[in-house]
Amino acid sequence: MTSYVLQRTVQMIVVIFGVVTVTFFAVRLVPGDPARLMEPPGTPESVIKITREQLGTDKPIPEQYVNFIRDFVRGDLGTSFRGSRPVMDTVLEALPNTLALGLISMALTTILSFGIGIVAAMRPNGWFDRIALVLASIAQATPGFWLGVILALLFAVELKWLPAVGRTGWKSFVLPVATLVISLMPLQIRAVRQAFIETMGEGFVRAGRARGLSETTVLGIHVMKVAAIPLVTLIGLQAGYVLGGSIVIESIFNWPGVGTLALQAINQRDFPMIQGTVLVIAIVYTLINFLVDLTYAALDPRVKY
Amino acid sequence: MTEPILRVHELTKHFPIRRGLFGRASATLRAVDGVSFDVHPGETVGIVGESGCGKSTLARTLMWLDEPTSGSVTFDGQPVSSGATDLLRRQMQIVFQDPYTSLPPRMTIGDIVADPIRIHGTHPESEIRSQVNRLLTEVGVSAQRAGQYPFQFSGGQRQRIGIARALAIEPRLLILDEAVSALDVSVQGQILNLLQDLQDQHGLAYLFISHDLGVVRYLSDRVLVMYLGKIVEEGPAEALYAKPHHPYTQALLSAVPTLRGRRSERVRLRGEPPKPTSPPSGCAFHPRCPMAQPICAKETPLLLPSGPGRRSACHFSGQLAGNG
Amino acid sequence: MPFPDFTGELTSSDQAPDASAPAALPVRRKSFLRQFSKRKVATAGLTGFLIIVAMAIFAPFIAPHNPLQQNLGDNFKPPMWKDGGTSEYPLGTDPLGRDLLSRLIYGARYSLAISFGAVIVGGVIGFLAGLVAGFYGRWADTLLMRLGDIQLAFPFVLFAIAILAVSPNRTVWHLIVVLGISSWVIYARVVRSRVLTERSKDYARAATAIGASRMRVLRKYVMPNVWQALPPIALLNLAFFVIVESLLSFLSLGLSPPTPSWGSILADGRQYMMLDPWMALLPGIAIIITVITISLAADGFADLLDPKLKFGAFRRQPLKTSTPDIDPSGERLPLLSVRSLTTQFPLDEVTITAVDDLSFDLGRGQVLGIVGESGSGKSTLGFSIMQLLDAPGRVVDGRILFDGADLARISNREMSAVRGDRMGMIFQDPGNSLTPVLTVGYQLEETARKTGKIPAKEARTAAIAALQAVGIPEPERVIRAYPFELSGGMQQRVMIALAMIGTPELLILDEPTSALDVTTQAQLLDELDRLRRERDLAMIFITHDIALLADFADSILVMYAGQLCELGPANEIIRRPRHPYAQALLNAVELVDAPGTDRLAVIPGDPPDLSRHLPGCPFADRCPHAMAVCRDVEPKPVAVGAGHLSACHLHTQSTEDAAA
Repeated sequence: MTSYVLQRTVQMIVVIFGVVTVTFFAVRLVPGDPARLMEPPGTPESVIKITREQLGTDKPIPEQYVNFIRDFVRGDLGTSFRGSRPVMDTVLEALPNTLALGLISMALTTILSFGIGIVAAMRPNGWFDRIALVLASIAQATPGFWLGVILALLFAVELKWLPAVGRTGWKSFVLPVATLVISLMPLQIRAVRQAFIETMGEGFVRAGRARGLSETTVLGIHVMKVAAIPLVTLIGLQAGYVLGGSIVIESIFNWPGVGTLALQAINQRDFPMIQGTVLVIAIVYTLINFLVDLTYAALDPRVKY
Repeated sequence: MTEPILRVHELTKHFPIRRGLFGRASATLRAVDGVSFDVHPGETVGIVGESGCGKSTLARTLMWLDEPTSGSVTFDGQPVSSGATDLLRRQMQIVFQDPYTSLPPRMTIGDIVADPIRIHGTHPESEIRSQVNRLLTEVGVSAQRAGQYPFQFSGGQRQRIGIARALAIEPRLLILDEAVSALDVSVQGQILNLLQDLQDQHGLAYLFISHDLGVVRYLSDRVLVMYLGKIVEEGPAEALYAKPHHPYTQALLSAVPTLRGRRSERVRLRGEPPKPTSPPSGCAFHPRCPMAQPICAKETPLLLPSGPGRRSACHFSGQLAGNG
Repeated sequence: MPFPDFTGELTSSDQAPDASAPAALPVRRKSFLRQFSKRKVATAGLTGFLIIVAMAIFAPFIAPHNPLQQNLGDNFKPPMWKDGGTSEYPLGTDPLGRDLLSRLIYGARYSLAISFGAVIVGGVIGFLAGLVAGFYGRWADTLLMRLGDIQLAFPFVLFAIAILAVSPNRTVWHLIVVLGISSWVIYARVVRSRVLTERSKDYARAATAIGASRMRVLRKYVMPNVWQALPPIALLNLAFFVIVESLLSFLSLGLSPPTPSWGSILADGRQYMMLDPWMALLPGIAIIITVITISLAADGFADLLDPKLKFGAFRRQPLKTSTPDIDPSGERLPLLSVRSLTTQFPLDEVTITAVDDLSFDLGRGQVLGIVGESGSGKSTLGFSIMQLLDAPGRVVDGRILFDGADLARISNREMSAVRGDRMGMIFQDPGNSLTPVLTVGYQLEETARKTGKIPAKEARTAAIAALQAVGIPEPERVIRAYPFELSGGMQQRVMIALAMIGTPELLILDEPTSALDVTTQAQLLDELDRLRRERDLAMIFITHDIALLADFADSILVMYAGQLCELGPANEIIRRPRHPYAQALLNAVELVDAPGTDRLAVIPGDPPDLSRHLPGCPFADRCPHAMAVCRDVEPKPVAVGAGHLSACHLHTQSTEDAAA
C-alpha cells in the first residue's frame, strides 16, 4: 500500500506539473498580446510596454516559464491586476465557499442517486425504473445554467421564498445546491442502476443465493460492495464537473467562490487571476482524483500495489 | 530419416512482469524455457501439458506472433528471424482454440478464406473465388455459404472455416493450438477425422497442442510433455502412453478419467502446479513428485535419451524405463 | 447536463452481440437499421432529432422573419397564446422586436453546426490518436495517454472558457476547434481500449499468422470492430456540445452578437426575466428537446451494442398451477423426484424449451450423473431444481418433489430455507462464484451463521473445519485470503466448503471440474467421492464428459435437446448403451484406450437448435438408424431393463417397420 501511495503521489505531482505547464502555454499561445488585451483600446504603446513588464511578458517565453514555475513552487501566483492583492490570498479566501457548495451537493447527489438507482435496478423496466429513467433523461438534457435561472426566477423572484444571490445563511445554499444536484443526479442514477444490474448478473450472486443467503444479504453486502467500486471513480469525475461548473452556477447565484472570481477575472482580463483560478481548480480536482484512486485501492483488494 | 521441416533449438520466451514505481521488471515469467524438438514432414507431433505449462506461448512464439527471447527456429533449413518470417508464414499456419474469437466477426467467411491467398498472391484474383469454394468444400462447409458471416455458423463449422483459412496458402505444417478443445465431443470427433483426411491428402505435418491426453494420443505419432515451460518427456505416442519415463507423465495419465473406471495404480499428485514466475529449484516438478529425492531439489535434470526415440528429464528415468 | 468523461464507460464492457450470445440462445443479427427500428423510443428520438436538423438546414424557408430584422414597434410581444400576442410572432419578440421563433430556428443552425463540427474534429483526432496508441503502443501510447490524463485534469468547461476568454474574436471555427480539441480524449480512450481488446483476439493473431502486414491487420480486421463503438459516444458528445455551446453564449463567450444562438437568446432573456419570462424559458426548452432526442437515439445505439441489460434481474416466481395427481402419502418417495419438468425461456421471437418433459428419481446418498452436449439443457435442469433460473427462464410445468415438498411451488421464503441448508450447488467457474471483494473467511462465516445450525461464536471454527474437510492445506491462511489469491482448484474447494457448511442432503454440481486441469480434477473428484461416502450425500453431477461418471455415479441420465434420451444404472449405460445417441457419445469419448489408427465413428451434424421445435425425435437428423417414424413421432422413454429407460423408436418398432 505504501508503495502504491508513493507511486500515485509521484503521478499526481507529474500531472500537476503538466497542468501548470498547459495553463502557462494555453494563455500564451492564444493570438494577441495579453498586455494589449488587458488595457482598453487606444492605450498608448508606452503604457502597454509597462503593463508588459509588469506581467513579465516582455521576456522570452522560456524565461517566463522558468519564472512562472519558480513562483508557483513558492506558492506565489502573482498579483491581481485589479486591486493589486496577491492572487493566492484572494483565491484561498474564495475556495472554502466553492468547496462547501460542492461537498454538500456531491453528498446529497450520492445519497439520492444510490437510493433511486438501487430501487430502479431491483426491477429493471418496472414502473419505478421507467419513471426514474425518464426524469433522469429530462434532467440530463436540462442545461444547469438555465435551470439555475429558472429556479431563481421561480423561488426567489416570484415566490420570494429564498434569496437569489450571495451567501447569507443556510437558505442561500438551497438554490445553488438544488441546481447542482439536479444536474449531477441523472448520470449517477444511471451509473448506479447499471452497476447494480450488471453486478446482480454475476456468478457470485447466484452462488450466494444457492447457499441460501437472503436477498438482503446478497444485495446489501455482496452486490453493494462490488458495485460501489466503479462508482467511486464516477464520483471523482463528477467532482470535476462541480468544480468546472462552479463558474456558471456561482455566477448565476453570485456566490462568492472561485468560479465567480474566475469569471470576473475573465471579464476584466485579469491574467494572473485567470491563471490562478484555473490552476487552483485544476489542482483541487487532481487532489480529489488522487483521493478517489486511494479509496478505490482500499475498497478493491484486487488492485495490485 | 528425412530432414526436419521445423527445427526448434533452445527456444525461450520470457515475459517481464512490470510492477512498482517506474514499471521496472520485478519478476520474469518463464513461459517457455529452453525447448528443443524437431517436426518432420507429414508427421504429427503432439504437445500435452496443463494450463500454464507454456504450450500456447510456444505455439505463438513458433508462429512469430511473439518474438522469442532466445533460441533458434529453423524452418525447412532456413533460420527464422524477425525480418524473415515470410517463408515461415507461407508454409506454416495455425488454428486457434476458440471458434468464437478466431474469426473476424465482420468479414464474410469467403473473404476470410480468400485473404491469405490475396496477401501471398498464390492465385490470380480471377481464380480466388473457385479456390475459396474448393477450400470450403474440402473442410465440409457448403461453398454456397461463402457470403455469410461467422456468427451464422456453429462452433464446429467455424473451426472448419479456421482450418480452411490456414490451408488456403497450402502450408506444409499446421499448428493446432487446442483446436478441438472448445467443441462438443461429437463435433470434436468430426474435426479429428477431417484433420486426418487432410493429412492423408496433403501430406501435412501437424503440431497438435492440447491439454486433452486422449485426443493427443489419437492424432499424434510423437508426443512431447511440457511442465512449467520445459519439455519433461518425449517419445512415440504408443510407447509413451504405455510406459511413461517421467513421473509427471505417469501422474497425468493416471488422472485422466476413463470409461473403464479408475486405474488401480493411480499416481496422485500433491498440491498444484507452481507459479511460473517462481519455479522451484532443481527439478520444477519435485515438490509434487511422488518419487522426489534430495537431489531433485538441487539439480535440474536434463532431457536425455531414455529409450528408443525417447527422452526424459528425470533423475530416475532409468528406473522408470527399466522395471515393470 | 451530461458529463463527457464517463461516456467511455458505456462501452467498456461491450461485445459484439454475436460473441456474447450463449449457445442456447440464437441471436439472429439483422441489419443494424432494422434492429434499431424495433426500438420505438430510440427511433422516435432519432426521428425527432433529424426533424430538428432539417429545420436548422432549411431555416430560411421555415422561419417567418429575418432573425436579425429589428422592429422596435413590435418589441416585447408575448407568445401568441398570451394576451397581446399575435400570430405574426407566434413566440413573441425580443427587446429589439426581433421574431423569437425565427431566432430560435436560426439559433439551431449555429448550435448544431458548432456541435457537429466539434464532434467531427474531436472524433477524428481522438480516433486517430486511439488507433495509434492502441495499435503501435510503446512511447506513442504513453505520450498520448499521459497527455490525455493531463487534459482531463482540467475541468472541461474551465478549459474552454479560459481559451475563449482570451481569444480576441470568436467565429464558428474557433468554437469548433476549442470544443473539438477538448473532447478528443474520450474518443481516444475508447478507441484505444477497443483496439487493445480486438488486436489481442485470436482473429487478429490469425491475420498476422497468414502474413497480413500490420497495416492490413489494422485496416481490414481490427478497424471494423472498433468504429462501431463510436456512434453512441459521438451522439452523447453532440448533446453535450449543444449544451456547452449555449453555456458559452450565455457567458458571452460564444459567437459574437447579433448572431442568434440558443445561449445568447437565453442570456438576453435573462436580462428581461421580470418583463417577459418566455424569452428565457423558450431557448431552454429548445435545448432540452434537442438533447433528449439525441440521448434517446444514443441509448438505442448503446443498447444494440450492449444488449445484456435486456432480461433484467433474477426473480423466482413459484408455479401457481395445482397438481392434482400428487400423492406423496401412499408410497415412500425418494429424496428427489422430478416429474414432467418443463423449463422454458420465452424470448422476443421464439420460446426455447430447455428442459422438456423430464422425469427421474434420486435416492438419498445416490449420485446421478447427467451428461449432454451444449444445448442439451443439462445446466438448466440443475438451475430449475435449485430454482435459480436466470430471467426470462421459468419452470412452466411439472413437479420437483424434494423430500415431499414441490420446489416449483413452495414460497420464496421456503425455497430460501431449502437452499444452503438442505441443498447446495457448485458451479463451473469457481473464480466467478466467489464474491471477489470479501475474504474466504467472511463468506464461510456468513454462510455458517445463516444456517442457524452453528452458534455465532463458533462460526470461525466451523469455517476452518469446513476448509479442512475439503482437503485445503493451511486453512488458517486461506481463510484470510481473497478469492483471487487462490488457484482455480482451491477456489472450487472453497465453493464446496461453502456448500457443505450447511450440511445439505443434496449437492448439485454443474461441470464442477471443467475449468480445472486434469490433475486438479482428479484430486477434486477424490475429495467429492470421500464426502459423499462420509456424509451420505446425494449428488447430481452435471458434465459433458461421461468418463468422469464411470466410477462415480450410481445412475446416469443422458440428455439431448432438453429431453431424456437414456436413463439407467451407470455401469449398464457405459457398458451397453441402448439409445443411438448414447452409443455415439460413448464412442466419441473413448480415445485414450483406443489406439488412433482408425477413423472415429462420429455423429454427423451439430447439437440441436432448441428454438426450432420440430416434430419427431430431436436426434433424428443425426441418427444413423433414423426411420420414417422418427421424424413424425416423438419417442417416449420405454423400459429396456431394470430401472433403465431409453427414448427411441428402435425399442418399439419391429424390423419390418424399420425397413418400410
